[in-house]
Amino acid sequence: MDILYLLIPLSVALVFFVLAGLWWAIDRGQFEDIEAEGERILRED
Amino acid sequence: MTQVNVLPEIVLANPNMQGPSVPMAMRGLLLEATPPEPGLALLDEPQEWSSFSLPEKNNVGCWRSSVVFEGMHCAACAITLEDALRAVPGVKSVQISGASHRGQIVWSSDLTRPSQWMQAVERQGYKALPANDAHTHARRRAQARRMVWRWSVAAMCMMQVMMYATPAYLTQPGDISQEAMHLLRWASWVLSLPVLFFSCAPFFSQAWRDVRERRISMDLPVALGMVVTFVVSTLGTFEPEGPFGAEVFFDSFTMFVFFLLTGRWLELRMRDRTAGALEAVLNRLPDHVRKRQPDGSWLPLSIRRLQMGDVIKVLPGEAFAGDGLVLSGQSQVDEALLTGESRPLAREVGDRVIAGSHNLSGTLHVKIEQMGAATRYAQIVALMESASISKPAMAQLVDRWAKPFLVAVMLAALASAIYAWPTDPAHAVMVAVAVLIVTCPCALSLATPAAMLATAGALARSGVLVRRLNALQNLAHIDTVIFDKTGTLTCDALAVAHIHTREDVSAAQALDWAGSLARHSLHPVSRALWVEARRRAEAAGRLEALEALDAQALSEQAGQGVQGLLVRPGHVHRTLRLGSAAFCEAPVHAGDLLQVNLADEFGWLASFELVEAVRPEAAAVMRALSEMGLSLKVLSGDSPSAVAKVARTVGLVDAQGGCSPRQKLQALQALQAQGHQVAMVGDGLNDGPVLAGADVSFALGQAVPLAQAKSDFVLMGGRLDALVSTLQQGRRTMRIVKQNLVWSAVYNAACIPLALLGYLPAWAAGLGMALSSLLVVLNALRLSQAIPGVQPAQVAQLNGD
Repeated sequence: MDILYLLIPLSVALVFFVLAGLWWAIDRGQFEDIEAEGERILRED
Repeated sequence: MTQVNVLPEIVLANPNMQGPSVPMAMRGLLLEATPPEPGLALLDEPQEWSSFSLPEKNNVGCWRSSVVFEGMHCAACAITLEDALRAVPGVKSVQISGASHRGQIVWSSDLTRPSQWMQAVERQGYKALPANDAHTHARRRAQARRMVWRWSVAAMCMMQVMMYATPAYLTQPGDISQEAMHLLRWASWVLSLPVLFFSCAPFFSQAWRDVRERRISMDLPVALGMVVTFVVSTLGTFEPEGPFGAEVFFDSFTMFVFFLLTGRWLELRMRDRTAGALEAVLNRLPDHVRKRQPDGSWLPLSIRRLQMGDVIKVLPGEAFAGDGLVLSGQSQVDEALLTGESRPLAREVGDRVIAGSHNLSGTLHVKIEQMGAATRYAQIVALMESASISKPAMAQLVDRWAKPFLVAVMLAALASAIYAWPTDPAHAVMVAVAVLIVTCPCALSLATPAAMLATAGALARSGVLVRRLNALQNLAHIDTVIFDKTGTLTCDALAVAHIHTREDVSAAQALDWAGSLARHSLHPVSRALWVEARRRAEAAGRLEALEALDAQALSEQAGQGVQGLLVRPGHVHRTLRLGSAAFCEAPVHAGDLLQVNLADEFGWLASFELVEAVRPEAAAVMRALSEMGLSLKVLSGDSPSAVAKVARTVGLVDAQGGCSPRQKLQALQALQAQGHQVAMVGDGLNDGPVLAGADVSFALGQAVPLAQAKSDFVLMGGRLDALVSTLQQGRRTMRIVKQNLVWSAVYNAACIPLALLGYLPAWAAGLGMALSSLLVVLNALRLSQAIPGVQPAQVAQLNGD
């Protein structure tokens, strides 16, 4: 079960990694206008 | 007997006409040639930029401007506008939100000027207004982002901490080695740190503020529970042999933080989405004026630099920037939104005009006497705000009950800790924490907002915007509904009621000829004539013949009518006039209907009598509301006879015309004094104080921004039938809220004694807390299903009768 000593800290690091990604997305306003992006694909050009 | 001044009057009868078509309609009957706004050039002065723009940090010479768009309906509009703006050289990037009607435009001051891209917007048929509140808006957006971020951190960490906690719940003692258990606790502790220091920060700062000001709020026991849970769990992690034992509660901790933040975040989102309408009010006054120079020339000037005593020139279709005195010129003004007067008022030298009202027909020179907060416009806004402050808030009631409850909870927690301390300190602290956690007013505090937010979401999807969540509380108790007439029971459009013609002219002929002039205009009267002409021609199968009739050389007589030349091959050319009785030398017909006349060079040909069209669904909606046991009433600023007529048409008995805004408010307060709970349905600025004074207020979608901003609900589709389903939904919401409150009360009543006696371990308290919250939220979610009520099929049926 020694692998736990690697895996559990790794999972903690992973959470921080995911949080960093979330921060990047939120800071760029990716969650602010969700409908418009969906409709952009229907544009004619 | 009513002498009519056809053109401006209709604009007045329709205070709803605030879309992009209004300036056009006010400028007169001619559609062609909208000159570029002279005031746009003013925005090109660099000192004006900072009022609606921020310089870009990484991009020297670039500005980020905030703009409010008029005339936008949907995301497709946003895309059209983005394309149009991107095509302007010098515009770097464009972001437009279809939901808030706002946009951010980044442009380079080396290559372009605001007027250039604003004209690009106007060419698409929209209007861009500089958002003078850009800075508050930016601040609110940053706040919203931080909230999402706090919530995401809590959510991520909660999920992972749950994973680490699972083994502790699933295994028997001894199944996992002490070291592995310790490792899991350590991992939970690490992931709880960001939750404690970042996600919980708003609770701590609020609790700290409350402590300093010697208040008590829900945040205090919550913050206390958070800190104690975290400290006890931390001690359990790093000092398992210590006084508090080896028990950890990181899962309970992250979970209740997550639940609480979810509630807060949903509330914030609702608030932001609806705040946009309020800010649009700022754009009612004109942005620029023309000020007279000593040498007699006219200098374009920003309204912010206008001073008392300045003389300004106001063209037809423009709004007055301040209260003032007419020095020269003659015109008619539209004060409908400010005074409720639905007819145009003549203004000549020596008369006074008020800020926010519109000049309709002639050019006026006005000496400014009052500006800013001293204007009547500002006073009406202030009246409205004071009325809205005096509203009895449901929140106060909750607070009144919450306070003693919270004090009792904390005292009980303390007492139990003190009682058990001498025998077993760990047990004592855990009992206190269990009490704090189990009574964490999570379920209680979610009970009402969760149900109301679910309802607000469901209402929004069916086209009803909720401006104030507390109003949902009142909705269920409403027993009286007051309607305004203009724009509420009647639609924006007019309809042709009667046609009187000279003996040798047929009604169809007269309509065709009138249509040849009317088709060129967006004015409501012209539209009514053209729609009627088309309708009849289509029924007779001669639509093409009608389309071929097209008057030329149109010219407009301000406030009188329009004249044009009708050229048809094989016929004599005719000079046609369409307009007021005097303009057309027409006989005036009996009745108080609006009359528009047609004449040629030999004299009167025909008269058309127009009525405000009653909303097709109005009668059915009134019937449905009566069946719900509500008493209905009409209060209007319009003439009593017109009000009575409309009321009869929709089947209402109780109608009162000729009311000033103050009288309306008094009538409303009289009803409230008798113990009635009153809902007000209206629009227009003059309804503002009444809307604010009512227990619940509704505004119809096309209403002016101010009325929208101050009403509790906005019927976005501009259809009355949404009113019925909203009231029904309000009753359902209160049922669910009551269930939720009863459940949380029962849960607390059952759990607090258990926790106090020490039978409830903290983990069970946390689980109970989470489950009770979950139950409350799930119960509330039942409200977010599609709103039963008036279905499309029923609407068609309603319209049929």
